[in-house]
Amino acid sequence: MNRHTKLAILIAPILAIGGYIASDFYLAHDAEQTKFIQLTTESSCDVLAGKCVLSSGEFKANVYDENGVTHVNTTFPLDTATLFLVDSSDVATVYPLQMSDSPYYWFNKTPLRELNGTQGDSQKMRLVLQIKGGQYISEFYTQNGG
Amino acid sequence: MENNANYWRENLRLILICLVIWFVVSFGFGLLLVEPLNEIRLGGYKLGFWFAQQGSIYTFVALVFWYSSQMNKLDKKYNVEE
Repeated sequence: MNRHTKLAILIAPILAIGGYIASDFYLAHDAEQTKFIQLTTESSCDVLAGKCVLSSGEFKANVYDENGVTHVNTTFPLDTATLFLVDSSDVATVYPLQMSDSPYYWFNKTPLRELNGTQGDSQKMRLVLQIKGGQYISEFYTQNGG
Repeated sequence: MENNANYWRENLRLILICLVIWFVVSFGFGLLLVEPLNEIRLGGYKLGFWFAQQGSIYTFVALVFWYSSQMNKLDKKYNVEE
């Protein structure tokens, strides 16, 4: 092994470790930037029947209603979750969700069951889910399938 | 004297090439272009992920030997080999 090989073998790990540290800084900085990511419904949405999954990549949010309490269950822990019920005049009523036992589960009492109680009814909803460095947003309709 | 300067200049050129390749495979393929590269699969793995985890390390090892062999040639060219 000559001097050049020795020198290169000595320098390569220093560069690799330097690269690792620089990558970490880059990713940390990137993660701090607020990003808006749109969630889309995986199929037709029926919140009252517990059949409403919104997704973007590996992030999924299940929206369902039990006895007048609307729940959101997500695959990643959330900082905040806010639900909006939008009427026919496009006026939104805000329902900030409360954290349940863990930041994966959020809920609040909403009048969704009264507004969307009849079979065939459709209700416009918006959901804003905040995660460190990003906001997952969605506007979707829940259709009462009976 | 001029020989020494030329030798050093060619050495710097090799180092620069190594650093550019080092940057492209680690930051370029492993971070900046990771999303488009992940569309391509290599042996079942996403290519961007593979570069970040293994490909860049293989390239670093290859660079060590490539740099060494190029420097040996340079040593012979300028009659400064060990």
